[in-house]
Amino acid sequence: MNLNVDAEKKNTYDAIVVGTGISGGWAAKELTEKGLKTLVLERGRMVKHPDYPTATKDPWEFANAGRATQEDLKQQGVQARTGYTIRQDTKHWFVNDIDNPYTEVNRFDWMRGYHVGGRSIMWGRQSYRLSDMDFEANAKDGIAVDWPVRYKDISPWYDYVESFIGVSGQVENLPQLPDGKFLPPMELNCVELDLKKSVKEKQDRLVTIGRVAHATAPLPHSPQRGTCQYRNLCSRGCPYGGYFSSNSSTLPAAEKTGNMTLRPNSIVSELIYDEKLGKATGVKVLDAETGEQVEYYAKVIFLCASTFGSTQIMLNSISNRFPNGFGNDSGELGHNIMDHHLSVGAGGSVEGYEDQYYSGRRANGFYIPRYRNIGKNNRDYIRGFGYQGAASRQGWSSLVAELSLGADLKSAVATPGKWTIGMGGFGEILPYHENFVVLNKDKKDKFGLPTLTFDAILRDNELKMRKDMANDAAEMLEAAGFKNVNKFDREIGIGLGIHEMGTARMGKDPKTSVLNKWNQVHACKNVFVTDGSFMTSAACHNPSLGYMAFTARAVDYAVSELKKNNL
Amino acid sequence: MNFEHKIKDMDRREALKRTAWIMGGVVSAPAMMGILKGCAAKPTINWKPVFLAENQGILISQVADIIIPKTDTPGASDVGVPGFIDQLLKECYSKEDQDEFLAGLTAFDEEAKKSHGDAFNDLSAEKQAEFVKNIHDEAIKAKSEKRPFILKVKELTMLGFFTSEAGATQVLQYVAVPGSYKGCIPLSEAGNGKTWAT
Repeated sequence: MNLNVDAEKKNTYDAIVVGTGISGGWAAKELTEKGLKTLVLERGRMVKHPDYPTATKDPWEFANAGRATQEDLKQQGVQARTGYTIRQDTKHWFVNDIDNPYTEVNRFDWMRGYHVGGRSIMWGRQSYRLSDMDFEANAKDGIAVDWPVRYKDISPWYDYVESFIGVSGQVENLPQLPDGKFLPPMELNCVELDLKKSVKEKQDRLVTIGRVAHATAPLPHSPQRGTCQYRNLCSRGCPYGGYFSSNSSTLPAAEKTGNMTLRPNSIVSELIYDEKLGKATGVKVLDAETGEQVEYYAKVIFLCASTFGSTQIMLNSISNRFPNGFGNDSGELGHNIMDHHLSVGAGGSVEGYEDQYYSGRRANGFYIPRYRNIGKNNRDYIRGFGYQGAASRQGWSSLVAELSLGADLKSAVATPGKWTIGMGGFGEILPYHENFVVLNKDKKDKFGLPTLTFDAILRDNELKMRKDMANDAAEMLEAAGFKNVNKFDREIGIGLGIHEMGTARMGKDPKTSVLNKWNQVHACKNVFVTDGSFMTSAACHNPSLGYMAFTARAVDYAVSELKKNNL
Repeated sequence: MNFEHKIKDMDRREALKRTAWIMGGVVSAPAMMGILKGCAAKPTINWKPVFLAENQGILISQVADIIIPKTDTPGASDVGVPGFIDQLLKECYSKEDQDEFLAGLTAFDEEAKKSHGDAFNDLSAEKQAEFVKNIHDEAIKAKSEKRPFILKVKELTMLGFFTSEAGATQVLQYVAVPGSYKGCIPLSEAGNGKTWAT
């Protein structure tokens, strides 16, 4: 009896954070800095900044020029669907699909990595703010549910997280894409500057440099981080700390407080719910290395295990109070899957500029913010899209299909090739109740836990939008005088944007949403969910910055509620 | 390789060039290497194939060196491209793609026999170069949707070569840690003005 009490004491913290990705890292930093003894659980292996195994390798240090082998594709065939992740320099950041299966009713791409830092290591780093256009959209269009917050609620938290992580960008004064606390912007190249001018003159749209979480100037509060070195090897992990990741930024801050206990290889299988208290008292953990089951307890729990990770835990947390999944009185848990639809746009070749080039490798491109359906809807679809793109001079591969051979080929390759330019759209996907994920109890993973089954597709609004996404891109490139303009529109599955969102949405009404405006489970006040699952709508741009802002805000609220004994 | 060796190498190359001129033809890099090593009779390779048969490995080596010969910078076989191709075929190609590649190789050799009377490996360096050029130029002009064998070898040769240290740093330019980005500068100010390797 005493033994148990002791064990329980030993396993009791003020707070538990599940996950160490973008949201979990922020929750860990904020909770520990506010003085809470915090247990941070990560299902994958330990990764410590700056120990990223391939980060400083030269191209010739990889077998097969870095390409995936047949064996890699056997182990990580689903993760390889992106076309860019399963390579010798980055494959270790993505899960083994044989060990981590899921079921897809329609093609569904679930791209993820299980390790400390999660996808904050290989994220795209593009960082944009939601605006009131986004927060008001559901209410105006009369779909799904209204966001329970508006821009003014979140704006100071965007300021707060941007100042800490470092976001490089250009102030543009666009109401639909609010400016942030920016570090110096990166440069557009000659051809992109030309596109910018043409798009402004001919279409009255904006081309700006991408807003990225790169330190283009020193960040004195994070001495372990240096500035961006323009290597463009970000997704290997950056030993310079040139971009924001949990490993380089928030976890070191949490560690510094002395209040964090980080436990890797810890798979949270479910939340422990106390019917009498009406609260979650802790989590059940399966040790991924030993198979041992351990329980940990805390006053407040932050689920930051990724959209589907957290939803999986909640769906698997069954009690008399919550027979259909934790906090799932609304029946919305697992529903309203969103992502951004992409792989549609246009490219072309550029004549001239032969005496101009660039130096350094910019891990960024240009951005064209949303311009469709601003103010009022006047297309045959609602919402909109933005574009990300870049211009560059071609390298050796452009000469494979040219006549050069032998010594001529060698000298031709040494001269920078023609300029080319391309852009791809990122389109908003609406929150459809019919796009959902459920637990699959018939198919267990190697730990004996139920897996997930996804049933989600692009629907009419997205498919109509894609026509504009291809046509508008081609039109802008042609108007700028670029040649051989080709549209593309590839068939994709939801998930390929790796921006999954929405399966535990926030809303005003507990009958139609899982979380309240503080990311707090409506039906269980001491559980907060701050990864992408809270998103009520998707907007059309990279969402991670928002997860950071909402997480910091939720922690601030949770700790003040805790102090008032309200949790 | 130290400086003294380089001088010696240059002298030897110079001597060979003169020999070639006397013989009235251009000597291909592998043939030159053969002469240097004193074993011009039968082409061999100094690496052990893991996927290809020995004679297929020899063929790939010779074609690769015609595609990217040694000039004032190393050529394909100097940096191990043939072995790179062999390994990549084994590890990265599906069974179907492997079979297709081997069928292409066989057809390539048959074509050499048809047009020059001998298997490719038995042709003179001059005939090999001529044959490769003809097949290559036809393939480029045909613009077929499916990449023909010769262009697959060309692509693999270029991939192996330009991701090698010599290819990336001597033929192209490579900076591991640029430290800054300049978006729009005169070509002459972009390092040494050559194509960036990455």
